[in-house]
Amino acid sequence: MTLVVRLDDVRKEYGDTAALDGVSLEIRTGEAVAVMGPSGCGKSTMLNMIAGLDRPTSGTVLVHDQDLGRLNETKLALFRRHKIGMIFQFFNLLDDLPALDNVALAAQLTGARVGSARSRALELLDELGIADRRNAYPASLSGGERQRVAVARALMNRPALLLADEPTGALDSRAGEQVMDLLLDLNQIGQTLLIVTHDDRLATRCASRVVELADGRVTGERILERA
Amino acid sequence: MSAVWRAGRAAVRRRRMQTFVIGLVVLLSTTTVVVALALLQASSAPFDRSFDHQQGAHAVAVFDAALVTDAQLSARRTGVAATSGPFGLAVLDSDGDGRIGPRGPLTVVGRADPAGPVDRLNLWDGRWPTAPGEIVLNRPPQGDGERGMPPGSNEVTLGGVPFTVVGRAYSLSQTADAWVAPEQMASLHPTETQMLYRFTGDVSTKAAVEADLAATTAGLPTGALLAARPYTAVKEEVSADVGVYVPFLATFGVLGLIVAIVIVGNVVSGAVVSGYRHIGILKALGFTPRQVVAVYLAMVSVPAVAGSVLGTVAGSLAAQPLLTSGFEGLGLDVGIGVGPWIWVAGLVGVPAVVALAAFVPAARAHSLSAAAAISAGSAPRLGRATRIQHRLAGLRLARSVTLGIGLPFARPGRTSFTVAAVLLGVTTVTFATGLAASLGRISAIEDRASGQVGVYPSDGQGRIVPDGQGPPVAAPARTTRTDIQVESLLRGTPSAARVAANLKLPVAVVGQTQPVMVNFMRGDYSTMGYADELTEGRWMAGPSETVVPSELRKALGLSMGSRITLRLGPSVEQTVTVVGETMDGPEGPPGLIVDWSVFTALAPARVVLPHEVYYQVQLTPGADVDGYAAAVRAADPALDAYNNAQVSDFAVTVIGFSSVLSLLLSTVAALGVFNTVVLNVRERRRDLGMLKSIGMTPRQVVTMVLSSMALVGVVGGVLGIPLGVLAHHYILPAAADAARVTIPYSVLSVWQVPTLVLMGLAGVVIALLGALVPARGAARLTIAEVLHNE
Repeated sequence: MTLVVRLDDVRKEYGDTAALDGVSLEIRTGEAVAVMGPSGCGKSTMLNMIAGLDRPTSGTVLVHDQDLGRLNETKLALFRRHKIGMIFQFFNLLDDLPALDNVALAAQLTGARVGSARSRALELLDELGIADRRNAYPASLSGGERQRVAVARALMNRPALLLADEPTGALDSRAGEQVMDLLLDLNQIGQTLLIVTHDDRLATRCASRVVELADGRVTGERILERA
Repeated sequence: MSAVWRAGRAAVRRRRMQTFVIGLVVLLSTTTVVVALALLQASSAPFDRSFDHQQGAHAVAVFDAALVTDAQLSARRTGVAATSGPFGLAVLDSDGDGRIGPRGPLTVVGRADPAGPVDRLNLWDGRWPTAPGEIVLNRPPQGDGERGMPPGSNEVTLGGVPFTVVGRAYSLSQTADAWVAPEQMASLHPTETQMLYRFTGDVSTKAAVEADLAATTAGLPTGALLAARPYTAVKEEVSADVGVYVPFLATFGVLGLIVAIVIVGNVVSGAVVSGYRHIGILKALGFTPRQVVAVYLAMVSVPAVAGSVLGTVAGSLAAQPLLTSGFEGLGLDVGIGVGPWIWVAGLVGVPAVVALAAFVPAARAHSLSAAAAISAGSAPRLGRATRIQHRLAGLRLARSVTLGIGLPFARPGRTSFTVAAVLLGVTTVTFATGLAASLGRISAIEDRASGQVGVYPSDGQGRIVPDGQGPPVAAPARTTRTDIQVESLLRGTPSAARVAANLKLPVAVVGQTQPVMVNFMRGDYSTMGYADELTEGRWMAGPSETVVPSELRKALGLSMGSRITLRLGPSVEQTVTVVGETMDGPEGPPGLIVDWSVFTALAPARVVLPHEVYYQVQLTPGADVDGYAAAVRAADPALDAYNNAQVSDFAVTVIGFSSVLSLLLSTVAALGVFNTVVLNVRERRRDLGMLKSIGMTPRQVVTMVLSSMALVGVVGGVLGIPLGVLAHHYILPAAADAARVTIPYSVLSVWQVPTLVLMGLAGVVIALLGALVPARGAARLTIAEVLHNE
């Protein structure tokens, strides 16, 4: 399997505090990796490094053989656009766009025509079972529906790596279950997945490997057998 | 330290950029307000206020001292509110050679002091005469001083008596040319007595003042009242000089006030609205609604007070030179400056506007629950904005552009204020541009018509120096050439293209009590460009026709086709028909323009001397004007030849202050845009973070933010241009009318499509300049920080 992510002795400091302290990690194509640990252990910081949202203080972050520390802001944006899909705990949808346009937005930023972007967005919403809510604005969607829209948006440009930051953290248990099923399905059709979560159920259900973080260091790793 | 003050201080520290923006906007707005109020104050009935301040004389009356005694004059009180006098009055001739000191006969009055119930003189230089041999001259403050008087010269000889000038005073009522001590006047044996009156009755018209004076002087010996002048004559004269500035000053003043209030209101209320989330948190912490309002008032008051203090000082400094140049030499000593009430407006009024602008949204937050306030700071707004965004999403434009265009609709109130600021900025720039173009066109027309070179032959007594050309450089000399020979010399000097000769004479007109000035013109005057000054009718086709300057036409009540019979001598008459009206005409007081042959017919035997004639020369294109003038002076040292091309003081003044005000208002408008973008970016931090996380590049972020304000700029420009053009179309003629001049239509038609497009771009430029810095800041937002800071 091809190497998608390689962190090599990554350190990230905020002032005098080290959020990550010599983290090394590898993720291969088709893997579903969950990063777990207590609050403030550096999970989100690690996710930000891999997504190119932040830069390491030292060490190397390679994603698809691209050294993210060497890319300028524009190249990082293009990298995110084409290689990464992100799902956030609080969905981060644009409130003044309906679901369909929120999803289509990711393709339109690449210069795709409105028609083809909307067509692809509708296809994704249909696959995720919320095509009938395509004209609804985020404020009128349920939490689960919003997260499905966010997932559709993340998949819009067919990313090599899907990153999910506490994807079920703001959902009730039923909506959380639905999102877990969705992520599992995606992984099963070959989507590489990195999930940052507190939720042990999410990790065991969706991930094939769990990486434990504490105080900015990798403290353990488990391989899971999925049902 | 109270919790309110601590929270307010913390808010100021945490929001450094916002504090800076509020401070800067208040500073520039206060500067604008102070300049605007100073302009409005100066343009509001300046003569009346100065006249009241000086307790000006409603009537200046001169009596025959042989027929009426001082006691008789002092006893006349019918209808009189106050009097000054009786003062001895003598008319003395200047004995100088005309090169130094005042010229011609001077009215000299003996007064013990410059104060008194009527005509309180403004002794603005030196002291009052107390001894024989001392004199004070009547001169307006900030004037040119004694033109032609060498620096340091204070000696004048009047009526054979040497005087030392010990001071300069100004009488708006023009009661005398000079004043001496009463003892000095007694030694001059005055035959006339001056009385200055203020009346209790109606003084609104010349007739009313004359009636008041008649009532007061009734019963005096016949012939005792030698002459009287109502103040209305002086008022008309001064009002014409000042009036021309009033429409411009008032327009810029009003624009400045509106822009300042709109921007301050927008910036401050925006700051409070964007702080709703913070307000909710304060409430959740236990702050009472009243304390929350106090925190926000404290937060905006700190930069507002600093900005208003600095702005008031800056405005006072900026206003003074504008006012000085506008009113220089007119002797108006009241309200031509930044009065105390303007300082109060800057130091108290502006902070009050700021407090009010903050209070309205803070009071709204006052009534919101903590939870509602927290969500009001970030809650989505459904409605028109979302529908517009949905439609924009379908356009075939770059998505960063369509997203940007939709942003202003999310905050319609804030956007409206921003559009209003840009609109007013564009209106000002358009008006100022039109003004400069029109004044430039007037200067060009006048320069062309009057020739590039003016030539005055010396009369052997002195040299004539045009305004602004410095003191005379050569000794008086008399040319040996005749009038015709001078014209030939000018035509024969290389580079001359057209030469005209102008003999300006006062001529009796049948049916008029006063003589009328007439320009008898010869040579190429018809093709020199006066025709471009026509405001009505056509140019003269022959010697039986005349063209009249608009000011003279109004004064004489002439219309197209009016026939004027000129009489120069006992019985010789020539009749000319008015066929056109010009804006101005040849140099000097306005006069009829007629062909020289009319003069020949009126005075066939009269020999015209060269120094009676003013010659004007147009040169071939590209010729060296100064070189031609030098060649003429070299050919005949008795001829004073000057480069005529000069921009008028009026044009320089108006263009100067319109440029300053345009720059100021545009900057304030751009700051308004800056503030709007700062607020929009802050409110949309999460959206921006998300957009960047899905691949929006920094350039796309900048494009999106600039697009949002470009739309505001386009709307402001499209609405502001017609307003600016309308202001130009109505205010320039109003100013000309105040100066009793009509301007040709060509002066107003300065708007061409390219100019209007440029003006339209002014709105976009103001908006983009204001948005650029915060747009770049938005592009640099750290995504991780924004998205995880929920």
